[in-house]
Amino acid sequence: MTPQIGKLILFVGAMLVAGILVMTRKAWMGALAHGWPSVWRIAKMTVAEARRKRVLQAVVVLVVLIIASLNIVSYLSPVEQARMVKDSGLMSITLFGMLLSIFVGAFMIPHEIESRTIYPILAKPVRRYEFLLGKYLGALIILGVIVAILTVVLVGVLLLQAHVIGVPQAGQPDSKFDAAIPAVIFAAVMSYCALAVLTALIMLISAVSSTTMTVIGAILLWGVGSMQSMLYDLSTKMVGASRFVLWLFYHAVPPLQDFDFRTNVANGIPIDAGAAVQALGAGLLYIIVALLFASLFFENRQV
Amino acid sequence: METVLQVEGLTKVYHSLLTPVGVKAVDGLNLSIRQGETYSMVGPNGSGKTTTLKIILGLIFPTDGKTTIFGKDISDLSVRERIGFLPEDAYLYDVFNGEDLLDFYAGLFGYGKQARKARVEELLTLVGMQANRKVPFRECSKGMRQRLALAQALVNDPELLILDEPTSGLDPAGRHQMTQLILELKRRGKTILLCSHFLAEVEEVCDRVGILYRGKLVGEGTLRELAGEPTEIVISVSGMRSGATKQLAALPTVVDVGDGEVRLGKATGDQLWAVLQALREAGGEIQEVTKPRPSLQDVFVRAIGEVKE
Repeated sequence: MTPQIGKLILFVGAMLVAGILVMTRKAWMGALAHGWPSVWRIAKMTVAEARRKRVLQAVVVLVVLIIASLNIVSYLSPVEQARMVKDSGLMSITLFGMLLSIFVGAFMIPHEIESRTIYPILAKPVRRYEFLLGKYLGALIILGVIVAILTVVLVGVLLLQAHVIGVPQAGQPDSKFDAAIPAVIFAAVMSYCALAVLTALIMLISAVSSTTMTVIGAILLWGVGSMQSMLYDLSTKMVGASRFVLWLFYHAVPPLQDFDFRTNVANGIPIDAGAAVQALGAGLLYIIVALLFASLFFENRQV
Repeated sequence: METVLQVEGLTKVYHSLLTPVGVKAVDGLNLSIRQGETYSMVGPNGSGKTTTLKIILGLIFPTDGKTTIFGKDISDLSVRERIGFLPEDAYLYDVFNGEDLLDFYAGLFGYGKQARKARVEELLTLVGMQANRKVPFRECSKGMRQRLALAQALVNDPELLILDEPTSGLDPAGRHQMTQLILELKRRGKTILLCSHFLAEVEEVCDRVGILYRGKLVGEGTLRELAGEPTEIVISVSGMRSGATKQLAALPTVVDVGDGEVRLGKATGDQLWAVLQALREAGGEIQEVTKPRPSLQDVFVRAIGEVKE
């Protein structure tokens, strides 16, 4: 029951999924090639629909304002201020990204079923998995655009502050405002990857349950996924069945915290490329498995 | 004539926590719809019409039985390229306008940009929505929504059209418009499966009718077959002397003599002639002689009543 077991499970899982994908490559590549136009149409429609949602527009504007307002904090030393702006800005991106992921992902499939807008689509030559993939792709585009907007605003704030505070004075290391733009962009991209994983898992839940259950499940996933190290520590202190349950949770829920490089970026700690690659690999595996199972469940769902 | 839709022994049982034994929504249903035919499923609420349509379209799965369209299973995508579906209460994305909606649905059939544009124009003209093409769906009236929903069902110029309550919630003018559109599609040779509560509309457009009750087909045929041969003759008459009623009522085959109307049971030509002569002698002027058939409403009520008994 150590993190090494997790790595082993991840490796075995990756090999298994890769093997299945290689063996069934003709089937899924053919299906994807045939279904791609439908997937893309559904994705575009999902994006266009989200673009017209006033609630989403309002939330994005609110978060942009929150990040932009980081500009007005000026009572800290330049180093502290840079740390605070990067930390708060990246946290805003992660936090609102996760909330939007839940909002966008959880309402997609169940809402389509509840409002019955899915009927005319599935009566057309569209496979159910194409619909699901189209929705997922649409969600990724929406989240991608939002994360990009927020990142641009954060980068703008950092550049502005760096410009205003200026270059470090000689003999005054505290006067340096290190914007660390590439690192900030990297952290935002990793946050986006975490959103992609979370959204895939939300799609999996929504493929089998109602909107309410999906929202609850998504929040649980997010909560547990963001506190995995705490879960691990807790499991080592438990005995019996509760230890096993926590162990199961620890290994089953995607390690969303592994995508969080906020602390490194804010404090100027070098980023461990290996950890990032491992997180991305695990994330990709979670996405593939989640979408495969979501397609399987959704194929047999009575709508 | 080619069979377009074949339903054999279709059964659907819904299970829930409250009904662990299950509720039979459709019970061993058999249907066969031929090419170019307009077939209507009628029945009271909960008779299994929508469930049947959803199974035919592959939205839900049957507990037992088989459905084929053009000889193939609905899961075959080539089948869905040849059908169109109008859902009850027009469930379309409400943030889009008619033009965008139709463009989206046309895109699902793989039409290119030019083909989509041409098809959208054609459909907007057909359903009379050119002027309101930019109105968001949520701001459309019920009639406009139904017309757009019909247009999306026609986007691929389908051979089989499945319409679930196409006139539901429409005012009389809207109902008339929709009925005329369905008749136009019928003239164009479409095979149509229609579910409706409005029996007058069904009577107007359908070639054959299936009456569903508690998931079972309790009557099926053309209106003539369902109604049977007329069993009475009605003579409309005016100016008849009041004292002649008793004398007329005594004639063979006369079942009722009312105000301006004489009803006869089954009568031969001679018996009818004798009654007409008697009416003339009584000073009556014959307005009309008819052999009325029972309406679909009468047939429907009779069929359901027989099952209940």
